[in-house]
Amino acid sequence: MRLRGLLWCNAILPLLPVALLASATVEGRVELPKSHSAPVQAKRYQIVTKGGVLSTQPPLAVVYLDGVFPEPDSLPTKEVTQKDLTFIPALLPVRVGTKVEFPSLDDTYHNIFSYSPAKRFDLGRYRPDERPVPSQVFDKQGLVTLRCDIHEHMRGLILVLNTPYFVMTDTAGHFRLDGVPAGHYTIKAWIDSRTTREKPVDLKNGQTLHVDFP
Amino acid sequence: MSTPEQARDKEVASFRTRLFTAMMVIVAALTALGLYLAQRKVTADAERNLQENFQAELSALHKLEELRHAALADRCNALAAKSRIHAAIEDNAIDLLYPSAKDELRDLMEGEEPPPEHGAQSLHATFYRFLDGTGSVLKPPNPKEVGPLDAKAEDQLSLTKLPETQQIGYVQENGGTDGRAVAEVLAVPIFSTDTGDVISTLVVGFKPFQPKEAGAGMKSGIWVNGQLHLPSLPRSAERSLGRKIANAIAGSDRAENNFRVNVDGAPQLLFYKRLNPGSLFPAAYEICVYPLADSMAQLHRLRWQIGGAGALLLLGGFVASHLVALRFSAPVKKLALDSEENRARRRRAEAALASTAEELERSTRYSADASHQLKSPVTVLRVGIESLLVREDFRPEVYEELSALLHQTHRLTGVIDELLLLSRMDAGHLQIASAPVNLSQLIDEWLDDLGALPDSPDVKIEKEFPVGLFVAGERQYTSLIVQNLLENARKYNRSGGRIRVSAHGNARDVMLTIGNTGRTIPPGENIFERFHHNSTPSAASGHGIGLNLARELARLHGGDLRLVRSEDDWTEFEVRFPAANGVNAVA
Repeated sequence: MRLRGLLWCNAILPLLPVALLASATVEGRVELPKSHSAPVQAKRYQIVTKGGVLSTQPPLAVVYLDGVFPEPDSLPTKEVTQKDLTFIPALLPVRVGTKVEFPSLDDTYHNIFSYSPAKRFDLGRYRPDERPVPSQVFDKQGLVTLRCDIHEHMRGLILVLNTPYFVMTDTAGHFRLDGVPAGHYTIKAWIDSRTTREKPVDLKNGQTLHVDFP
Repeated sequence: MSTPEQARDKEVASFRTRLFTAMMVIVAALTALGLYLAQRKVTADAERNLQENFQAELSALHKLEELRHAALADRCNALAAKSRIHAAIEDNAIDLLYPSAKDELRDLMEGEEPPPEHGAQSLHATFYRFLDGTGSVLKPPNPKEVGPLDAKAEDQLSLTKLPETQQIGYVQENGGTDGRAVAEVLAVPIFSTDTGDVISTLVVGFKPFQPKEAGAGMKSGIWVNGQLHLPSLPRSAERSLGRKIANAIAGSDRAENNFRVNVDGAPQLLFYKRLNPGSLFPAAYEICVYPLADSMAQLHRLRWQIGGAGALLLLGGFVASHLVALRFSAPVKKLALDSEENRARRRRAEAALASTAEELERSTRYSADASHQLKSPVTVLRVGIESLLVREDFRPEVYEELSALLHQTHRLTGVIDELLLLSRMDAGHLQIASAPVNLSQLIDEWLDDLGALPDSPDVKIEKEFPVGLFVAGERQYTSLIVQNLLENARKYNRSGGRIRVSAHGNARDVMLTIGNTGRTIPPGENIFERFHHNSTPSAASGHGIGLNLARELARLHGGDLRLVRSEDDWTEFEVRFPAANGVNAVA
């Protein structure tokens, strides 16, 4: 994953000067719910259900720009791996039309499925050596709850967004969105399955806008 | 004599009647008590038997319910553990809920069809539904797969909230062969494995437990929602019985009870017990109706038996009372006879006593009269003799003869006096004027007189008494006693014998003892008897009233006279006198 991330970084680096010139930046902080337990491991988030509300633990938010953007020609393939009977990452924001692969690193069967309205699928049982790696294309906006039919405690979230501009906050709630084209948008912060905050923003080229979600 | 016998027979008859009546009352009371106890026992027994039967049936029912619960609980836990169920409920994919549960619940619904007679006892469900978070039924996409239910029945599955524990309920279905049926439903909560919250409820319907017909016409059914479902009853009886149960349940806060009802004119004992206490589903009651015909018949039979036994007892009692009365009346009769005899005897004795008393009176009076009649001629005789004695023209032999005759007149006077005294005593007319009498002096005087008597034998007199010993009495009679005894001692003595006179006293009594030698008195001879005569004739024979008189007088004074001994040439009398008050203190 780290390798792929690096590749992705390399791919967009040549575009950076142009983007910097003809784009704006939004940064700020999302007020996250209080975490009940200290973060155990960085970047390892679990999905918890509380009163039927799914959120990450420790809390994280996804900040994205809502608007109408041109359809991309192609989208990079994303991954949600299963390791130690958890989904990694526990929360994955993707753009509509993204293909997500579900490789397994556990030495056991998994049966990933979702009954979520945004995407119903059932990958069936498979082992880590299953090839090709089972995958799904998420072509509808919405929150998809990932479950395993065999390990009922496993939960994962895929937030399917109709925008290329989104970012996850750190555990303190800080975020920064670069390379956003100027224009009138609604900036939204997804906090949990029931809470999404939003604010209208007017972005100008070269501007860095500070937006906080209280 | 026939009248008292008749009266006696009458008495015996009345005794018999009373005895029989008492027996009849006792037997009747016993019979009544027996009937009462039998009735109570039969009723209580029947009730207890039926109660036991009912409880056994309930326990069978509960056993089945427990089995069903256990089976369901397992399945529900398995279901709750299933991600797909969670996914379907939590992700609002209700259309996928039933398909997701289908596999898990398939064996609950399917399986080989059991034979009809065991159908109700099987663990197989007839339908199942899920409830959503508000307790409403989630409509299945394909009712055929989850067991069809009409809308009305399905509505009854809804609960006001999701239960946290298993709930038992009963719903009315329009299915069934006769168009009405009651299904038992178990509602089992499904807990989220994540949060432990109840996320849904699985409601599973079964055919209700149909107990095997326990014979004796027992009928069982279920009362729910104000309606009774007892298929073996006709519809109208079912409805009216349902109303009665509704009233009974409304009128009592007990979950379990029984009462008597008439179904189609036959008495029945109806038991009811709440099947689902504390359930969120409407209250349902198990109903069992037992005909009481058997126990009524048993009671009837017992009544006849006890009544018959009572009648027999009464008959036996009648016979027994007759026998007993006869046996009792025999002694009573005898007693009556005896008392009659006793009465006659007493009458005779009384008559004899009266005549004796009369005779006694007459004899007393006679002796008194005789004494008086005798005294005057003796006096005349003595006066004549005395006048002859003063004449001087007789020969000396004549004087001697005259003096002897005079002496005899004196003796005769003495006898007459004594007889007079005795008769007065017998008549109870003799009064003692008690005064201190100097006994010592009295004895001395009489001893002097004794020595002066012309025909005194040659006897030696021994005296052994203090001077001035006083007794309480009348001098005349005390003197008479002493005289009598001393004269006897002299009279019955032998020549050369002796007389011993001794006396001593204490504060209360004075004892005078007079002993003499000479012929003894043979034992057994009653010398104190009046007009007693010695069995052996002797020269010195008295007139036979002296000792008697002496003793009577001694007794009259409050003392006594008795013969102390009479053997070996020695006869001794002892007189007890009451001591004169205070006078003998010095003695």
